[in-house]
Amino acid sequence: MDQKQIDDVVTATAQAYDAARPQAVASRHASGHLTARERIAALCDPESFMELGVQAESAPNAPGSAPADGVVTGAGRIDGRSVLVASYDYTVYKGTQSRLNQGKLERLMFLALEHRWPFICFADGEGDRAQELRGAFGGLGGMGGASGRVGLFDGLCELSGWVPTVAVVSGTSLDGNAAIAMFCDFVVATAGSMIGTVEGQFTVEAHEQMGDIDLVVADEPSAIAAVRKYLSYLMCDLPSGEPSPESETIRSLVPDNRRRAYDMRKVVLALADEGSVFELRPNWGTSMITSLVRMDGRSVGMFGNQPMSRLAGAIDSDASDKMARFLEFCDAYDIPLVSLIDSPGFYIGPEAERAGIARHHIRTLTAIHHRTVPLYCVQLRKAYGLGPVVMRGSGGHEPPDLRLAWPTVETGGMSLEGAAYLVRRKEILAAKSPAEALAIRDEYANTVRDMQSGLRAGRNFSFDEVIDPAETRDRIIAMLRLSPRPQRTGKKNYLDTI
Amino acid sequence: MDQKLIDEVLAARARAYDEARPEVVARVHANGKLTARERIAALLDPGSAVEYGVLSGRGESDWVQTTGGVDFLGTVHGQSVVASSTDFTDRGGGYGAGRLGRLLALANEHRWPVVLFTEGGGSRAVVPESAGGRFLSIAGQNGLPHGIFEGMAELAGWVPTAAMVSGPSFAGHATMAAFCDFIVATRGSSIGMGGPPMVEAGFGTRLTPHELGGVEMHEQIGGIELLVDDEPAAIAAVRKYLSYYQDRPSGAAAPAANSIRSIVPNSGPYDMHQVIQALADVDSVFELRPNWATAVITAFGRMGGRSVGFLANQPLSPNGGAINSDAANKIARFVQLCDAYEFPIVSLIDTPGFTVKLPGVALKPQDEQRAERPGVTRHHARPLRALHHRTVPLYSVQVRRAYGLGAAAMAGVGNARSVPALRLAWPTVELGVNDKYTQGFDDIVDPAETRERIIAVMRLTKRSLERATKKRPRDPW
Repeated sequence: MDQKQIDDVVTATAQAYDAARPQAVASRHASGHLTARERIAALCDPESFMELGVQAESAPNAPGSAPADGVVTGAGRIDGRSVLVASYDYTVYKGTQSRLNQGKLERLMFLALEHRWPFICFADGEGDRAQELRGAFGGLGGMGGASGRVGLFDGLCELSGWVPTVAVVSGTSLDGNAAIAMFCDFVVATAGSMIGTVEGQFTVEAHEQMGDIDLVVADEPSAIAAVRKYLSYLMCDLPSGEPSPESETIRSLVPDNRRRAYDMRKVVLALADEGSVFELRPNWGTSMITSLVRMDGRSVGMFGNQPMSRLAGAIDSDASDKMARFLEFCDAYDIPLVSLIDSPGFYIGPEAERAGIARHHIRTLTAIHHRTVPLYCVQLRKAYGLGPVVMRGSGGHEPPDLRLAWPTVETGGMSLEGAAYLVRRKEILAAKSPAEALAIRDEYANTVRDMQSGLRAGRNFSFDEVIDPAETRDRIIAMLRLSPRPQRTGKKNYLDTI
Repeated sequence: MDQKLIDEVLAARARAYDEARPEVVARVHANGKLTARERIAALLDPGSAVEYGVLSGRGESDWVQTTGGVDFLGTVHGQSVVASSTDFTDRGGGYGAGRLGRLLALANEHRWPVVLFTEGGGSRAVVPESAGGRFLSIAGQNGLPHGIFEGMAELAGWVPTAAMVSGPSFAGHATMAAFCDFIVATRGSSIGMGGPPMVEAGFGTRLTPHELGGVEMHEQIGGIELLVDDEPAAIAAVRKYLSYYQDRPSGAAAPAANSIRSIVPNSGPYDMHQVIQALADVDSVFELRPNWATAVITAFGRMGGRSVGFLANQPLSPNGGAINSDAANKIARFVQLCDAYEFPIVSLIDTPGFTVKLPGVALKPQDEQRAERPGVTRHHARPLRALHHRTVPLYSVQVRRAYGLGAAAMAGVGNARSVPALRLAWPTVELGVNDKYTQGFDDIVDPAETRERIIAVMRLTKRSLERATKKRPRDPW
């Protein structure tokens, strides 16, 4: 072969790499970003990334003007496990989407589907490439055939519930790029980034308040670390894990005064392996905490009511969607669940009703009923109304695998204070002062509470055992060891996105 | 057998019937309502009702009739159903008999639709039967209600479920209604997670049930499928809703079909309802959630006798048919519903794409356009996922516009799964740079041919409700 032919290929290809594009690299660094290739290098294990389509370019008359056609795509490894990565290059036509570079993502869809390799996309970019004219009749997203069985968006649908899909939004993500982000199962964004259309955008912080973002972090290195950590829970269990220093404090987390709030995050920290807590959507639906954690190395989905939230642990529409989605997600990936219960039940009142809680809450009941992963429940304090049903299932056909309670547990069909308004209504209405009315209420509530709380809840077999909080971690781990993670050959269900 | 023993049972049972309590019946009628038993009688085909659990147990000296509600098997349009009504006149209504859990298990086994009339304030603060001395239940070990929530969860996406809410329906009663695929409510009724006493205990505010959770409010936020004037209208709606679970051998076009060429202008708004009326069999269109997320129309209907789900953009809506997150949810849930019960989907597309509501802006429908801007949220991915995973046939007609991912949210994007059975467009279709996610078309057709084209392809595919298992629990929202 003519050496020149070879040299031409090598030289031309090299023009696509960062080393040949100092100006583009400098402009990215100047704006506080990594280049498209630096992000991939930081995400993947060293030397593991294998690029597909570096020479692709949709400007045949101006070779070299659109390196990799604006998106770097390929396969690599994270913690030794195979993944697929796409990274839009903002220095090439602002990371816009062309027919050709869409084809590059479609190839990744095909490979992800074929091999069950997680898909990660750095999704900044400004949507349609205006420089490119498209023909009518025969859109590029739907045709799909050029690069594989599926197009980009039906590919993301097909992967749902079977292959993890992850988006990183750092910078500006518009139109088609934004859609990729919103169509992935896990979205991490850097602070101040924007999502929207050419006509208008919202900050990722605003989208976080709509439940659209799983995690907002300070910068790209943090986002990349978050992606690696997130995928670790889905891709592997570890052989073992150590308790955290916080586990020493577990007996002191629930206050003596039953009306005082406490931070359920501390309970999560005390039960999980050291350094293993990864919370999803921490700033949305805040009365419910959803975290991926490890217990003795096993990946576990821990969800719990948050007494230290505006709603004091009551479940509103957002918290309900957050919990249901988390259950569906853990179920899809065979991640066992731990439920930490201390809730007055679903959120009530005019505000809650206007947000549709009376219909939304059903999704949680349906999700917990249809789960097939083990569920280990720990009731720390109260669970009134539908609280126990939603946090541990209604009990007949799909009861929890373990029902533990702490000595502070109290049970009842409805809020005992609320029940007082039904049972002792006449006396309360006849009370001479608000203080007297409250006294009647509390007297009733306390009497009933004493009848069905603490050790009594164990004696009437509402729980498998009322235990010392310090035993909780070991009890759950012992059950986990009895139930190994199953191998699956097909997906159970697709996941809803929100 | 001792005649006295038999008479005792018959007498106890007679006490449960309306004839034995004329004052209660008069009071219910004075409120413009039907009794629990009258509702069931109006719902079921004449002569088909079989009651379960007239008696609940044995008291000190006599048999005791069931209180709080009635549970039946019967038929609607000849189709077996489970029907249950709470009895609000009896201490606020309850699921005291414990029979409903059993009937839900039977519904699950036989795939019988379930109809619930829910009215009441949730679980009772005291257990009534045990309050009056010795009582032996005949329902089972302890006679307590069990398994109704679990029963309903199991049915989700497997058997059709419908609820009528007339009067206040709070807590457990709201939950039972909300489990259903279809909720019809009568004006002035209310639905809520916690009733006035709970809200008073929690917040110190005293509200009427209607102030707390009026169904007129729920209609605006998507909490119910249909709002009607009174109980007869609600019962008729339930019967009509259930009728779509059976196909008919044939069906005639509506008179509106004759005007189908003149509905769509080259530009500007028009009413997509007219297109649906022109495509569907005469008098067959039954719209769900008509006053929520009005940019999208979701309706059951028939074409050539076959039941179908119509999914359509509404250019006449305040935002011109743009799909915001509510509309996305409305589509996704409707697609799941159609898929679960094997309704083919007819999708009529004319949308400027996705919009996002500005955060924190309280919306009245007329403000929608002002309070939105183009954008995308996670909600917008829901319809694509549902459409992608459907296994029922889909027939799409692009009437005019399909910008951005709009068409994908109405018909899917897939070639891997969920290939549409037919992709038509009308001569008004807009082709160009904005429609890159449309699938392309099998043909451009004269609007007047559309109905026959769809029916012809539909006849080639069978509708089958004979499945061994459910596909996926459909979401409530």
